Amino acid sequence: MAEFLEFRGVSKRFGAVQAVDGVSLDIKKGEFFSLLGPSGCGKTTMLRLAAGFERPDAGRVFLDGRDITDLPPDKRRVNTVFQSYALFPHMTVRDNIGFGLTIAKRPKGEIRDEVDRMLGLIRMTDQGGKKPDQLSGGQKQRVAVARALVNKPDVLLLDEPLAALDLKLRQKMLIELDLIHDEVGITFLYVTHDQAEAMSLSDRIAVMEAGRIEQIGPPAEIYEAPRTGFVAAFIGDTNFLDGRVLDCPDREYCRLRIAGLPPVLGFNDRSILAGQPIALSVRPEKIHISHEEPEARPQRNAFPAVVEDVIYLGANTKYWVRAGGHRIQVLRQHARYVLDEKPLRWNDACWIWWHADDGFMLDPFRADGE
Amino acid sequence: MGSDPIIKRQEWLVSLPTLVWLTLFVVVPTLLVFVIAFRPANPYGGIGAGWTLENVRSLWTPGTLAIAWRTLWISLLTTAISLVLAVPTGYTIARAPERWRNRLLMLVVVPFWTSFLVRVFAWKSLLHPEGLIKKLLEAAGLVGPETTLLYNPAAVVLVMVYTFLPFTILPIYATAERFDFRLVEAARDLGARPFQAFRRVFLPGIRRGILIAVLVVFIPSLGSYIIPDLVGGPGGEMIGNKIAQRVFTDRNLPQAAALSAVLVLAVLAPLVGVLVLQRKSRKAGIVMGESP
Amino acid sequence: MRRSRFPLVVTALVMAFFYLPILILVANSFNPARYSSRWQGVSLVWYRRLFESPEVWQALKITLVIAVSVTAVSVVLGTAAAYALHRYGSSRLQRVHYTLIYQPLVVPEILMGISLLMAFVAAGVPLGLLTIFLAHVTFCVSFVAMTVLARLQDFDFSVIEAARDLGASPWQSTRKVLIPLLMPGIVAGALLAFTLSIDDFVITFFVAGPGSTTLPLRIYSMIKYGAPPMINALSTLLLLVTFAAVLASQRLSRSKR
Repeated sequence: MAEFLEFRGVSKRFGAVQAVDGVSLDIKKGEFFSLLGPSGCGKTTMLRLAAGFERPDAGRVFLDGRDITDLPPDKRRVNTVFQSYALFPHMTVRDNIGFGLTIAKRPKGEIRDEVDRMLGLIRMTDQGGKKPDQLSGGQKQRVAVARALVNKPDVLLLDEPLAALDLKLRQKMLIELDLIHDEVGITFLYVTHDQAEAMSLSDRIAVMEAGRIEQIGPPAEIYEAPRTGFVAAFIGDTNFLDGRVLDCPDREYCRLRIAGLPPVLGFNDRSILAGQPIALSVRPEKIHISHEEPEARPQRNAFPAVVEDVIYLGANTKYWVRAGGHRIQVLRQHARYVLDEKPLRWNDACWIWWHADDGFMLDPFRADGE
Repeated sequence: MGSDPIIKRQEWLVSLPTLVWLTLFVVVPTLLVFVIAFRPANPYGGIGAGWTLENVRSLWTPGTLAIAWRTLWISLLTTAISLVLAVPTGYTIARAPERWRNRLLMLVVVPFWTSFLVRVFAWKSLLHPEGLIKKLLEAAGLVGPETTLLYNPAAVVLVMVYTFLPFTILPIYATAERFDFRLVEAARDLGARPFQAFRRVFLPGIRRGILIAVLVVFIPSLGSYIIPDLVGGPGGEMIGNKIAQRVFTDRNLPQAAALSAVLVLAVLAPLVGVLVLQRKSRKAGIVMGESP
Repeated sequence: MRRSRFPLVVTALVMAFFYLPILILVANSFNPARYSSRWQGVSLVWYRRLFESPEVWQALKITLVIAVSVTAVSVVLGTAAAYALHRYGSSRLQRVHYTLIYQPLVVPEILMGISLLMAFVAAGVPLGLLTIFLAHVTFCVSFVAMTVLARLQDFDFSVIEAARDLGASPWQSTRKVLIPLLMPGIVAGALLAFTLSIDDFVITFFVAGPGSTTLPLRIYSMIKYGAPPMINALSTLLLLVTFAAVLASQRLSRSKR
């Protein structure tokens, strides 16, 4: 699959704020690509740069090899699904969906057939005559998608399309969007702050923060192998243990000095120098917990700990334990019937352990508010 | 996006028609008034050549000064009376239940929807010696058959209050509606008597509305023409009448211009004053963390 | 906590104060007596006299011609101005623009009237229908702009972006999306401009010439120089017309929330 939608070194500033800072991105044809990040990270600006509503201060945008940076939005083969849906209130559903084709001066018969096809795709065949104010949130969203897709754009841009829907509806629409993408097969560029949406829908995700891309990759890679502290903290939960590299005995692992704990083994997937300060990121579900001390194994990090908090959630339990002065979160799934076991309770002494492969060494990271 | 040249060009294109029109028909004429004030009058009723200070000097006559003074105190009195009536009314409407609020507002605004000239005329007939009010007052023994209710400053003030009251009520209502009345309850709880709470908590709370109300009455009052012309008589003459007299009776445009220039300055003064106050209060507001 | 009755009393008095003169005026238009203090039953005599009066018809014709043309021009100018003020709001140009638009709204009419008179005299433009037209447009533009601007505040501009996104050129998106959606506000502004033009006295008084007597000017001279009670009838009719126009304007400017 070739690079289809390309951003080369684009930057955009609004007043004192650098919204996008020298970002380069290649999106492949037919891909479902998400830009994920907190508000203000620049993801919406990137979308608007692709749509043509903003011009970059620096850098260029390419579509299918052609430089579209200077093209106005009406001349790009790109269509947008707006966060507020932006349906034309004075037009019916049919007229809304057919708007792009009407502007393109297609024959009336063709427009009618295409609109019918779209109404079928979004399963609103009998509702073509309604006006937007007669539709529910989910229906409006589907009409917005249909209105964009009917023009067969090269890329479909979606700006947090599910943000205004309630939870149940959002889950339903997630599946619908996925199906639509599979059926229509065009490139989707999806912007969201919701990691669940991004992870479940995307072929690849770019995590953005403060106008820059932190990491790009398939969802599993982003989750399992975060490259920066921001990505590790933003997606799912994780524990950060600050420390310093003692040495790297072999190419795969380094020994780390973390205050209060015996030397910890961390997974080395970058070139790390001895003495370098790092934050070790270990996800709670990768940590095991038990009353008894586990068997010692070469790549196993095991420590005694004390249980501080227990949050029982039914399918799993969250434990907050203290080991070596650090407060660590452990997520334990209940794969077997739980009531036969001796439960771990507050103030119980216990052991926690994880495999060195599950601890990533990242640059020291301080999340806001900590 | 503001620095984008394409957007800038669009902006100029859309704004240009009104910018040109208003400059041509508002800014230029106003400047012209100031210019003409310094030119002599042409014996045929037009504008002569050359420059003179005669028109400005003629402003300083006792007759003109008396009219200026009368204009000022009539406007101040009108403003004061309007405020005194508007504050309780605005308060009542703001405290009224939701359903009633809009109806009351409609009642206040509807008279404004009718011809202004007609309303002044209505008062002229009401206050006429043969009119209803005079007859009623005579019947009640309060006035004699010779007293005229018309053609004096009091009539002017009455009709001006009538005209401007809706404009005064609306801004007071607008701020009162946003006012948190629990503050008054808190004051009462702390021992303040009703009028004290009103004076020390409510009034300062709606001061922005009061300010707008003052401007909305005072400035147009200064420039009143029809009302003093129809119900003021010689005793109720204001600057507006004088200007009209200079134009149509005396056919002396430059003197009219001089008077108008004074009126422009008189009108600008409170506006500028308010702007300065607003800027000061905004700065203070930012310092104290107060929201506008 | 017992609330004082005082504000309520004042409000009631104020309301009575507002409507008394109008009610009496309307009542008197049906009173055939020469002096309003004597009631002589209901009659349409003054209305009949009105319809038979050629000066009144002439004045009406002139007033309407001016009002319609003024409305047309000020709606176009005012809508464009409102769009500019809203879309490009914070720029320096718009701040100047806003100050200019604001002027006719705060300046006393007599100042506008006299300054325009001076300008026309200085420029050698003969006073008449044209000068009245120019003067009316000047203040109507501001009112139209403010009315449309109010409607624009609630306007979701993403529909314009959506139209552009779907292939519409700037002109097409204006014609097919912006204007239809603004139409209620535009019509509200038009009705307001129409009413203001029909009703204007002071400014018209200063810039009118011989032969361009509008209805308000005619009413004024009727009031000033003897007052046949025909004025009551004329006033009542004028009341009804302006009332209806502004009512419609209000309804439209507030329509879909």
